[in-house]
Amino acid sequence: MRGLRLPGPGRAAPADVDTAGGAVPAARAAHASRVYGAGATAVVALDDVTIALPAAQFTAVMGPSGSGKSTLMHCLAGLDIVTSGQVFLGNTDLASLTDRQRTLLRRDRLGFVFQSFNLLPTLSAAENILLPCDLAGRRPDTEWFATVVDKLALADRLSHRPAELSGGQQQRVAVGRALISRPEVVFADEPTGALDSRSGRELLGFLRSVVDELGQTVVMVTHDPGAAAYADRVVFLADGSVVEEMEGPTRDLVLATMGRLGSG
Amino acid sequence: MVRFSLRALLANKVRLLLTVASVTVGVAFVAGTFVLSDTMVKAFDELYAGLTSGTDVVVRSESAYDADVTTTGGQVRPLDDDLVARVRAVPGVEVAEGSVFGFALIIDRKGEPIQPGGAPTFGTSIAEDRRLSGAGSIREGRAPEGPHEVVVDARTAAKAGFRVGDDVDVVLQDGRRTFRLVGIVGFGETDSLLGATMAGFDLGTAQRMLGKPGVVDEIDVRALGGVSAETLRDRIAEALPDGVEAVTGDQAADEGTAAVEDALGVFTTVLLVFAGVSLLVGTFVIWNTFTVLVAQRRREVALLRAVGATQRQVLGGVLFEATVVGVVAGAAGLAAGVGLAAGIRSLLGLVGVDVPTTSAAVEPRTVLAAFAVGLGVTAAAALLPAWAAARVAPMEALRESGPADRTAGRVRHVAGWTILGVGAAMLAAVSVTADRRWWTALAALTTFAGLVVVGPMLARGMSRLVGSGRSTAWRIAARNIARNSRRAAATALALAIGLAVVTAVAVAASSLEDSVSEAVSGGNRADLVLEPAGAGMGISSSVAALLRSRDDVRDVVELREWGAEVGGEEHLITALDTAGLDRVIDLGIESGSLDDLRPGRMLVSTAAADDLDVGTGDAVVVTFPETGRRVMRVAGTFDQGSLINASYVITMPDYDANVTSRLDGAILLRTVSGLDPDRAKERIEAAVADYPNVTVNTPADLTRRAQDSVNQLLGIVTALLLLAVVIAVLGVVNTLVLSVTERSRELGLLRAVGATKRQVRAIVRRESVLMSLLGALCGVVLGTAVGVALARALAEEGITTVSVPVLTLAAYVVVAIVVGVLAAVGPARRASGVDVLRAVSSE
Repeated sequence: MRGLRLPGPGRAAPADVDTAGGAVPAARAAHASRVYGAGATAVVALDDVTIALPAAQFTAVMGPSGSGKSTLMHCLAGLDIVTSGQVFLGNTDLASLTDRQRTLLRRDRLGFVFQSFNLLPTLSAAENILLPCDLAGRRPDTEWFATVVDKLALADRLSHRPAELSGGQQQRVAVGRALISRPEVVFADEPTGALDSRSGRELLGFLRSVVDELGQTVVMVTHDPGAAAYADRVVFLADGSVVEEMEGPTRDLVLATMGRLGSG
Repeated sequence: MVRFSLRALLANKVRLLLTVASVTVGVAFVAGTFVLSDTMVKAFDELYAGLTSGTDVVVRSESAYDADVTTTGGQVRPLDDDLVARVRAVPGVEVAEGSVFGFALIIDRKGEPIQPGGAPTFGTSIAEDRRLSGAGSIREGRAPEGPHEVVVDARTAAKAGFRVGDDVDVVLQDGRRTFRLVGIVGFGETDSLLGATMAGFDLGTAQRMLGKPGVVDEIDVRALGGVSAETLRDRIAEALPDGVEAVTGDQAADEGTAAVEDALGVFTTVLLVFAGVSLLVGTFVIWNTFTVLVAQRRREVALLRAVGATQRQVLGGVLFEATVVGVVAGAAGLAAGVGLAAGIRSLLGLVGVDVPTTSAAVEPRTVLAAFAVGLGVTAAAALLPAWAAARVAPMEALRESGPADRTAGRVRHVAGWTILGVGAAMLAAVSVTADRRWWTALAALTTFAGLVVVGPMLARGMSRLVGSGRSTAWRIAARNIARNSRRAAATALALAIGLAVVTAVAVAASSLEDSVSEAVSGGNRADLVLEPAGAGMGISSSVAALLRSRDDVRDVVELREWGAEVGGEEHLITALDTAGLDRVIDLGIESGSLDDLRPGRMLVSTAAADDLDVGTGDAVVVTFPETGRRVMRVAGTFDQGSLINASYVITMPDYDANVTSRLDGAILLRTVSGLDPDRAKERIEAAVADYPNVTVNTPADLTRRAQDSVNQLLGIVTALLLLAVVIAVLGVVNTLVLSVTERSRELGLLRAVGATKRQVRAIVRRESVLMSLLGALCGVVLGTAVGVALARALAEEGITTVSVPVLTLAAYVVVAIVVGVLAAVGPARRASGVDVLRAVSSE
């Protein structure tokens, strides 16, 4: 409820953080495993994953279907719980939280962008962006709202309903909603998956700029090498394990790595 | 297609259950009503057949018309004693005995009257030849002989703890007497005649005690062996004077059963009206459910069409689903109806109406009606949605968009408000003109039809009002209502129907209550009014004689009532003493004069005079069941008869000349001036202590009692109608469950971005409250308008003022909101339990 705040570090200011896995990562997983079902039908979606997501960086998570990339993101985001190991947001151990505490953590400290069906159809763009604040019963930071809206070029679309917006505009509204609470991490699950290529590139540009100009931390799951190239860093998953990490990716490097992993 | 439909039905059992339940209640009412009345008729049939089983022919006076048993107690003109000998002399007669019956109230050992609710307290002669009593037999002791002996029915004996040899006090038409109990009577397996108390005497005693010296009410005849009842009946008929008839015992039994059937008619009609209301509500719920189902399955249906299902197959599939629901509802309703009938019977038993025991009668008609209603309602309600499903284009399978509400066209907009306006105007018009029952019903239906059409617009209007607020949960809830405004409106209107009827009844009852108070304070001039307690037959005429002899009483006016035909319909005729009449009651004479009321003349209420189209000085034909046609002249008209519930007033001599009974329905009296009313009440109560069935009332007592009975009636009606509200609530639950299912991804998204379970529950709850509130407001507003119109339409029945019970109505709205909250409990839990991961993962 209102007033209840979770323990955890203050919001990381961009200046405090070095690049490439500095002192306190925004989020990290330590020996995290996720097993669905039990016995003979058990499926190991994550297998002993240890990974750190540096603050103020744009990280892409890649891997073929069934590699566990979505599960990893869901566990990092407190949407799913690891069966063993630990997951931290800042210094908060997600496994130690109740469902309700994880909900409030999502509301106050995380942001989400999904592939599709991202907005409430009955709310206007502005209302969708402000939804986390409304749910928290918190007065929105009008200056930050203006910054975000301006950054995402949504100023003249605020009173529109989702049905009246293009796919790209809808995804930008979703990014706006993810940013409104100045989250410690923004998770994006295939954000360009349902967009045409031009809108997709545009959206990736926006994500890049919120990292560079607003100092936000973004984690994106994708299977598109072109999308991964916008990131600072790419983590490759296969069969539930981290198999490779790459700094400063380009489309060709990513493609090459994928080809290697796919054949190997 | 059939397998597909069955799968679809079984896929969601909760929904199936809710849908079936909404029709089941209505069907149960229909089936229960039939079962109850059939069972009672069957029981009476068996009882009468048993009682007349030893009697071959019954000789009695012809009735001038087929009088209702409730207004005359079955009394016909008595026959001369001599006729018995004449009948006995007819060849083929083995035994012929006269019998009489009349008022006899048995007093228990504590001095309290044994007075069953609703059933009569009667005295009768016991036949000397036991075979004439049929199933009635002396279980213990012997038959009564001589002026000091009595027998009573087994139920009364058990209730009062009487044993053979005890002294038993009985209040008779001319006073209270003590008898020696010599026997106890049973009726086959049954202990009493439907709960009536019976005191039996030998014929001579009965004639004297029941006020019928030298006469008998009927002659019971038994044929010699080898002579058939029909033959004997015809032979006897030849020997009878004019105005006397002979019927076979079987005929007499059938007539008794038919009379019971008639008396049950009103009861049956009332129950069927309730059934109708529940079914109307159920129809709305079913229609709504199928509309939502079809909307949700559009893509599925489109896919079926794309792979080659014809329109007819799709239509048939939806109708098949409806049929299954209808059949299940019919069967469940039938079973519930049998249970309901048993429940009502035991309820009747609790209030003292001893319904004879017999197995429940489930006639083929009942089974047919249950299934016809269940199927008919469901199929009719599903027809439009089925059409909508059939019209789904195969292309829609490929489109991305989910079910969306089409916005109302201009035509609908204009038509809706027009119909609503016309309905409202009609309601206003009938409220002004009064006494237009059919127009009132038509106006109510028109207004409701208007509401149905503008419902979605009302829902959207309400949603705009609430949705502009700051609270996120309210905003989301309100916009969800607006998104599916038709669904919300249909759900709300199902609730509105029930509440509208409850409200209309409440307004009419409140008006009646006020009118009664007004009538008592307006027309009454009596200091005390004596009435028989409970539903007893009346007050012994010796009470009035006793009162007249007192010197603290100035005026005593007796009131007697009897059924008679006026203008082709049976009415209650009221007889009053003319001496001192205007000192105990102000009838509100409009024309003519009270002084002109004398034998051969009558007073007619203004409303009745309008109906008969007569005025002062005109002749009116009154047909008494015992004596036939009498021409009376109208002495005047009056408009304040509601206190004594009178429309036709005649003099006591005319009454006595045409009616055998000498019991008073009420005694109005005025004490000498200066006597304190409470003191007077005490004195009179002491004076009539020998008549424990007589209650002494001050005007304040009368008002309170009248109001109590109005409230009691209102309570029963409201309880029955609340069933309709329960069905509507099932509808709310159903709609919520469906829309939660439909929006599971949306709800999951809310949870993903940080809405707590409690917040999600709050959204669903608010949707429910908004729908309930819309229904409640529509229902209460419509019901108030209809109630006012109804009260005005019943002006003739004595509703002279209109009063709106604002507090009660406010309570209804509050209850509706609470009900909305409760209805949302299940759906809200379901909504807050959505799997967040599944909701946000792209398929």
